[in-house]
Amino acid sequence: MMSIIVAIPSKGRLKDRSVEIFSEAGMPIELAQDNRTYRGEIPAVPEVEIAFMSASEIARELVAGKIHLGITGEDLARETVSDADAVMDIGVKLQFGHADVVVAVPEAWIDVETMADLDDVAAEFRQRHGRRLRIATKYWQLTQNFFAGHGIAVYRIVESLGATEGAPAAGTADVIVDITSTGSTLRANKLKILSDGIILKSQARLIRSRTSQADINQISAIETLVSRIAKSLGSNSGK
Amino acid sequence: MQIADKLLDYYASQGCALPEIGLLQPADPLLDTAGEDLRRRIFITAGQKGESLCLRPEFTIPVSLHYLREGTSGKARFGYAGTVFRQRSNEMSEFSQAGIEDIGNPDRLAADLAAITDCCETIRLAGVSDYRLVIGDQAIFEAVLSSLGLPAAWQKRLGRSFGDMDRMSVDLDRLSGENRNGMGLDPELAELAKSGERALLNQKIAGMMEEAGLQSTMGRTPEEITERVLEKAELAAANLDADHRVALDAFLALETSIEEAPAVLEQTASLYDFEIGSALEGFAAFVEALKAKKVSNGESIYKASFGRRLDYYTGLVFEIECPGQDKPVAGGGRYDHLMSLLGAEAEIPAVGFSIWLDRLAAAGGQ
Repeated sequence: MMSIIVAIPSKGRLKDRSVEIFSEAGMPIELAQDNRTYRGEIPAVPEVEIAFMSASEIARELVAGKIHLGITGEDLARETVSDADAVMDIGVKLQFGHADVVVAVPEAWIDVETMADLDDVAAEFRQRHGRRLRIATKYWQLTQNFFAGHGIAVYRIVESLGATEGAPAAGTADVIVDITSTGSTLRANKLKILSDGIILKSQARLIRSRTSQADINQISAIETLVSRIAKSLGSNSGK
Repeated sequence: MQIADKLLDYYASQGCALPEIGLLQPADPLLDTAGEDLRRRIFITAGQKGESLCLRPEFTIPVSLHYLREGTSGKARFGYAGTVFRQRSNEMSEFSQAGIEDIGNPDRLAADLAAITDCCETIRLAGVSDYRLVIGDQAIFEAVLSSLGLPAAWQKRLGRSFGDMDRMSVDLDRLSGENRNGMGLDPELAELAKSGERALLNQKIAGMMEEAGLQSTMGRTPEEITERVLEKAELAAANLDADHRVALDAFLALETSIEEAPAVLEQTASLYDFEIGSALEGFAAFVEALKAKKVSNGESIYKASFGRRLDYYTGLVFEIECPGQDKPVAGGGRYDHLMSLLGAEAEIPAVGFSIWLDRLAAAGGQ
């Protein structure tokens, strides 16, 4: 039969924990013989082909349907496409890589505790400062969806590809949308999370592409693999 | 003759200039005025110098920029018909719009009437005679709010929610004390705010900003934050009593034929004990003049809750609906704040309308 392609993060803790999860489920991964470490296989399940990619590439390939399954962060999956649930099944929670995508403002903004407060501030910003309120983030999609859900349209996004938490002090943005696991970086930068400003509680997920081509045998192989991992983790497949 | 040419001929006959508006537009003025939210609905690309460009998603802002760039002084009307590009879920991304923007005419009544008349005439020229006109007016809502004696901060917030009934309900519930979430202040700060300790608040905030390395020249200042803390105390203390809530709900539920609207508004105002004052006079004069124009064979409706949630729309708004079409085939309104948002030094009155030619064709037009 045609193999199914499963992508796993290619480096760091995400890679190590992903490989462990497959071992724990009785499907240890072996690297390909030709020393090209970006490919692997599972001797116990020969129809599976493992591809190692960066976490954000995995999200894109799931959307494009070039891989059947992939392990990546829910934040990256939801950031890649506007209606993520339509193109992928953001399934099994893998219980690692926990992080929240949050809206944070300077602690000195003592009048701003909620998104409704931020709405008031955004609405008058142009009039006071001659420009719109600026939000630094790498999460364009998540920010736009979340702000639209709160009825806030008048702001500008400033793209930030690193050290987003420093943007307010650097004067490049007023507010940030960023990922945080303990909140300590935010606190060190005198930023606070809005009380209703948690956009997404993210963690690593085993995600199934809805756009990839698969015949009936492949579908059954995908389902078997997903249920083995879910079972091994203790049936935490809920959303 | 193509419908676009036919419409442009008509617009020219109504005294409109027909400017060339490029297909490729700078994205920043559009995103600055309509907001970042627009980004999801347009097609953006980058120029070689790194500037953001977009495929023309509409005409109002490009035409307004043309007016400002040409240094046109005084009043001018601009007609257009052409392709626009939007990311829409169930409709084509590439479609045609036609319309008129009327900029700089201080006679708002005459300009509003001309916009509605020409909008309806465009629909008829496209071969559609079965339609209805729906009219709303932000100025009337604001007049009702101010007569209820609400704090300025609440008037602004409700004014911004005008046009979105879900959001309005949430705001009104909160103001009626049914849902006070998110109104709280830190107790110590609340105490300072309650006793109006402006200087102490300022000092405290300035200290926090300094500690965080925030420069007040870059964004919000301590004074601005203090002012809003005090405003928030006012918001939290304000309460919409049951009578006023009933009055606002009754007003927002009004939907009546445009001919009867001034009388109905007057009755509602006296029944629920609020005043619309000069806004009602202006509206009544508009309705009187509109009657004489006989713009539609079908009904024309006034809907008190109808507005646009874009902060540059200020007064009259209107839409044209066709039977069997769930989306309007045309929309228009007064946008007196747009020109200053785009860089004009003073407010310049402006009103305009746009027709979705694809929806009009689906409604039986050309």
